[in-house]
Amino acid sequence: MTWTDEELVARSIGGDSDSFNELVLRWERPIYALAYRTIGREEDARDVCQETFLRAFRALPGFRGQAKFSSWLYRIALNLCRDWVRRERRAPVVQPPENVDLMDLAASAEPSESIEDLVARKDLSRAVERAMAVLPEEQRTAIILKEYHGLTFQEIAELVGCPLSTVKTRLYQGLTVLRRELAKNKRATL
Amino acid sequence: MSETVCSYSGDRDEAIVSHLYADESDPAVRAAFEAHLATCVHCASDLAVLRGVRSQLARWSPPEPKFAVVTSNPDSRIPTNPKSRIPNPASWWREIPAWAQVAAALLFLGVAAGLANLDVRYDSTGLSVRTGWLPSRDARVGDVRSAPASTSAGIASQINAVPPWRDDLAALERRLKTEFHGTQAGAAMVAAAPAQPARAASDAEIVRRARVLIDESEKRQQSELALRLAEVLRDMSAQRQADLVRVDRALGTVENKLGVQVLRNQQQMNYFMRTSQRQ
Repeated sequence: MTWTDEELVARSIGGDSDSFNELVLRWERPIYALAYRTIGREEDARDVCQETFLRAFRALPGFRGQAKFSSWLYRIALNLCRDWVRRERRAPVVQPPENVDLMDLAASAEPSESIEDLVARKDLSRAVERAMAVLPEEQRTAIILKEYHGLTFQEIAELVGCPLSTVKTRLYQGLTVLRRELAKNKRATL
Repeated sequence: MSETVCSYSGDRDEAIVSHLYADESDPAVRAAFEAHLATCVHCASDLAVLRGVRSQLARWSPPEPKFAVVTSNPDSRIPTNPKSRIPNPASWWREIPAWAQVAAALLFLGVAAGLANLDVRYDSTGLSVRTGWLPSRDARVGDVRSAPASTSAGIASQINAVPPWRDDLAALERRLKTEFHGTQAGAAMVAAAPAQPARAASDAEIVRRARVLIDESEKRQQSELALRLAEVLRDMSAQRQADLVRVDRALGTVENKLGVQVLRNQQQMNYFMRTSQRQ
């Protein structure tokens, strides 16, 4: 039987540790992906992800279900990411595309994908990563939440605490900057 | 599509984003923008470009996380910092192959026996096991015999000073042992016959198991070696392919530049020809 998040939360509050484990298993990848895309460092993203669940676990008795559990988790993770960026006082770290780790590429190669496609895909992925790093934090957050986590505009507005129209404007501005940066990158590689 | 300058009356950026992400929250605005889109080249172009950006964004995937945050132990169920994770002592022990565990156990027993100065004897007096560092009486006598002459006299006097009741006690011990073995000899003869094959069979079984373990370990090592070799070959192949792609790209760029240069030269030659013909 598959429990909903809310049911698992209720069971966790009631002392069922397996339920919280289930929640962690269910949400650790999305939270890690959010953290990685926001701060751009694998190890720090992992730390943020784990810290998110630690805080969620501690605060679980106070969770009254006024928001979705996932939204609540996202908010914790975003706050931690924001703290990280402020603490580090720097933009997300992005590896230069020249340093493509071919060992890593080879390890992640799928049998059906040729090496040329793989290199191209990784190059594009890094180009996107680099372009995202240029964005201001609020635009990057809006794009990540919408593009990679499929949140509604309303959910994003509630999460980041701004009007819905502001979310849309940030998205438009962010996408426009990305368009320019990606085009710049494309010209540079030609 | 006829408009080249956008004349959308609402908030254009918001409308484009709503359309881009198929937001159905405001159907009236959406319908109005769709009607506008049918006539506005500018908005249609903008929308197409942003769709392209989105398709590129979809190619960005974070690296695979290496998680170890969930355990079945309620006390450690809370996610922990990987830097502060302490391996479970039982788990690393389980990771050691069985043959290595057997070898470690034998080594431990051997060292323990050595430390305890274990002395096992099986002679006419039967099986005797002695531990500790006190030398036996025979050893003491041997030590005395091998001692330098200057000290032997003093030690010999100490031996001579041993009280006479000790000899009586030794004689009594010898007599008791003789009697004891006399009564048990028959039973030992009967019991020894079936015990010997059983012990031999047990030894053979242990040897067989050890061989099986060693064979399995060798097979595992061979397969692991083959896997590592395959990985190295694959990595080398990937490196070579990537290098080839880069070389190919670089060559293409050089060819393009060369082609452009040749074209320019040709145009210059044509110009000179035309100029010289006019003159």
